[in-house]
Amino acid sequence: MVNLTIDGKEITVSKTATIYEAAKEAGIDIPVLCYAKKLLPYGACRVCLVEVEQMKGRLIPSCTTPVTEGMVVTTMSDEIQKVRKTVLEFLLVNHVIDCPVCDKGGECDLQDLTYEYEVVTNRFEGEKFDLPTDEVNPLIERNMNRCVLCGKCVRVCDEIVGYGSYSFINRGFETKIATAFDRGLNCEFCGQCVSMCPVGAILPRPFKFKARPWQIKEVDSVCSYCGNGCTITMGVKDNKVQTIRFNDKIGVNDGNLCIRGRFGYSYANSDDRLTTPLIKKDGELVEASWDEALEAVAEGFKKAAADKGVGIISGARLTNEELFLLKNVAKAIGTENLDHSGGECYKGVTEGLVETLGVKASTGTFPQVEDADVILSIRSDFYETHPVFGMVVNQAVKRNEAQLFIVADKKGKFGKLPNAETLLHKPALEVNVLNAMAQALIEDGSAVTDGVDGLDELKKSLADYAPEKVAAATGVPAEQIKAAAKALAGANKSAILLAYGLPYTAQSKEIAVAAANLAILSGNVDKEGSNLYLCGEKANSQGAIDLGVIPAGSGQGAQQMLDAAAAGSLSALYVVGEDMVTSYPDREKVEKALDGAGFVVAQDLFLSPTAQKADVVLPAASFAEKDGTFTNAERRIQRVHPGITSPGEAKTDYAIFELLANKLGAGLSYTGPAAVFAALANEVDAYKGVEFNAIGAQGVVWGGEELKAATKKVVPVKGAAAVDGKFVLLTGSALYHSGTVSTHAKGPVAVVPEAYVEFGSEDATVLQVADGDMIKIKANGAEVQLKAKVDKRLPQGVVFAPYHFAEAGLNKLYKGEAAIAVEVSK
Amino acid sequence: MSEAVEQVQEEEIDLGPCNAILDKYVDMPGALMPSLQAIQDHYGYIPEPTVHLTAERLNVYASQIYGVLTFYAQFHLEPRGKYIVRVCMGTACHVKGAGRIGDTIKDRLGVGHAETTEDLKFTAEYVACIGACGMAPVIMVNDDTYGSMTVQKMDEVLEKYQKMD
Repeated sequence: MVNLTIDGKEITVSKTATIYEAAKEAGIDIPVLCYAKKLLPYGACRVCLVEVEQMKGRLIPSCTTPVTEGMVVTTMSDEIQKVRKTVLEFLLVNHVIDCPVCDKGGECDLQDLTYEYEVVTNRFEGEKFDLPTDEVNPLIERNMNRCVLCGKCVRVCDEIVGYGSYSFINRGFETKIATAFDRGLNCEFCGQCVSMCPVGAILPRPFKFKARPWQIKEVDSVCSYCGNGCTITMGVKDNKVQTIRFNDKIGVNDGNLCIRGRFGYSYANSDDRLTTPLIKKDGELVEASWDEALEAVAEGFKKAAADKGVGIISGARLTNEELFLLKNVAKAIGTENLDHSGGECYKGVTEGLVETLGVKASTGTFPQVEDADVILSIRSDFYETHPVFGMVVNQAVKRNEAQLFIVADKKGKFGKLPNAETLLHKPALEVNVLNAMAQALIEDGSAVTDGVDGLDELKKSLADYAPEKVAAATGVPAEQIKAAAKALAGANKSAILLAYGLPYTAQSKEIAVAAANLAILSGNVDKEGSNLYLCGEKANSQGAIDLGVIPAGSGQGAQQMLDAAAAGSLSALYVVGEDMVTSYPDREKVEKALDGAGFVVAQDLFLSPTAQKADVVLPAASFAEKDGTFTNAERRIQRVHPGITSPGEAKTDYAIFELLANKLGAGLSYTGPAAVFAALANEVDAYKGVEFNAIGAQGVVWGGEELKAATKKVVPVKGAAAVDGKFVLLTGSALYHSGTVSTHAKGPVAVVPEAYVEFGSEDATVLQVADGDMIKIKANGAEVQLKAKVDKRLPQGVVFAPYHFAEAGLNKLYKGEAAIAVEVSK
Repeated sequence: MSEAVEQVQEEEIDLGPCNAILDKYVDMPGALMPSLQAIQDHYGYIPEPTVHLTAERLNVYASQIYGVLTFYAQFHLEPRGKYIVRVCMGTACHVKGAGRIGDTIKDRLGVGHAETTEDLKFTAEYVACIGACGMAPVIMVNDDTYGSMTVQKMDEVLEKYQKMD
């Protein structure tokens, strides 16, 4: 710690602090333009100049100068005032003064400082820039005439996002921020640069001319897309979410968001939203009143329950409170057939972890990953499924020099980081590689074996997974497997990351077990600060597992229910918040199930292909209309707050479940989400003691920052055989989308409007395929046509297609396999 | 990456030599400047595809490379002439009539400062002092220096290089 005096105030701060940070801690404001808490000090704008007694004769930039013992700092004097004003005058020489039409007006740092320092006239004159505005992409507008060259956009894109869209180009007066070759922006559109820009140079296009900052009501909530659980602050006006506001003060994400979080909110405002209940009459879905619809649903379920039974399949974007009410509805119906999306994927993963470690969730929290010195990421898609968690890994690697190993079937952005190595394996062979890593640890004697159960059987089974042997089968060099295993075992703090979700249903349990084995053998489980991270695809995937929205007793799981319904041995299906026809593997089976079940109820925001097959459709509400809690992938229970009211007669799932339960004769009389949470906390051990209204801005992590593994049991697990075929198709999540709901959000759709099939550049050259060509893909007796996209991340013989799009019908091809052999032709 | 972008037609060049250059530098710390210089030495300028290849192989953002290329005057993003005619416009040369030398080049070849003839034979460049004031007005053609230039001598020099390949 260092002692210093700022403006007569004696303060003690950490020795790594800068003068600016020390002043801030002491509650003293120093103006800045180029400083941002999460970026490295830069010192570009010179607005933060202060006087330091020990450094007389010049003014000192407070944001880049570290504190020293006994330093005496003055943050305001006539001299400082004069110099800051001069700096502003310089900035205003070429800054266009178009504040009346600039969306930043009212919350612009330059505008505020100009006002504060009363820069009424300017002693300097010069040319204003007249640069064209970059309006090539639909999401981010760049007007470089307003730029003050603080470099925040350049730095955030490099330091945090790791994409590197921007650079300073040219020199001297001509200096400006540009992309390579000064073209229109073409990137991941996460909008980090938008959130960092202190002026109106980089703005969100969908928000243009929508509202003045002071007209906006800010509502803090949690993003509804992936399991990362980023805080998003909705900017609400006219009962519409107009934008997502920058907020780095609360939550897990430091103000960082991905394209879905920042631009994907608009599905809540979509004109396609369902606004009234629908009932099928003479084969047509027609509008109905809530009373009629609920009556029909209650009647239908009662009849079905008395017949062959009802099955309930839920999505994982419902709040914890809603999931709890759904369990009550299931009880009221009298069915134990209750499951949530993913069918096998989450089930396998949790079963695997329970068998080995005795837990069903990540053992650590995200910030601990930043301190890890070795990180093992299983599946490169991790960055694409949980982009903001990807940014955490980014910082661990770039700032703290963590070593990163990626076990993946395609190259990704992670692989480009310094100190990153991709263990690029043939499709579907993750488990083989993980097994080989475990075997490498056992072979060289570095495996942790104290207190580990099941070692002998594991050793026996791993004999088949010698690194050399696995290398031949998977294509990952044995040396690389050994090196990765050695590094993981040698780490002081390690992190093992595993993502799961609907497109990854195959081998879920095997992968979880193999990852857990490795966690045990490498000492990850024992070491403080070392953790295994299990990241669900949807906002409340963890909540659904915690609450036990899974079959109980003799209840059937999602896949069993679909099989039963298809065979005519289940009378009704209740599908809540999931478009199974699009997102579940094996579309044919799902469709057969929906046809086979005599009575189908769909509860959704949109008339999805699944809802179209329903007998009754209930219009539900988006996250923006809900009050409740989500539990993210680090077990953090966070509050969701409503910003708008639902369109038309749409109701929250909460309200619908309550009404339905009452219709079914099981009077639920909760006074609101707080009461429901209290009730569920009573039933779910992990949530015991958590008080709904006491959940603060940082949420509550159940089980504490580090969840101790209950058991340490290694379990033998079989790898897979390589998929034979000239081309192998992988499916998965694309960075720009999440589940199916993002296909109703303007932002993500503007960037990726439709499905595609991605080729590696080598295959593309051989097949003479170019971007936009229509490609026929045949497998499992079905054929789909997709537009081609050529990139550099796929190895030869592997093609990839994202699973989000209903029209594409990708799940006609795959039936839950990790990868399938396909025929590809133009 | 996305659909929402302008399509840029990439020029087609042989990237073999660029790869060979990068092979040499790839493991060296601070490889960017020497790589770019070597690429320019080979191709005469920095073609766009070499920037993308360099970005990929050296793991540097293309935007950063573009920043470097536009910062230093030594790099050129457009094809340049085989012979670079540098006309000194320093004080001594200016006083001794460097302007007329520049005008002569413009008149005979049709190219002014930083312009290249269509046949890619000559590029004219007006530069500040090249440190040979005793020879003012002075020009350089690639690495050869010609002093005490006159309009007539300029014609002779141009004619000499015109005849060369």
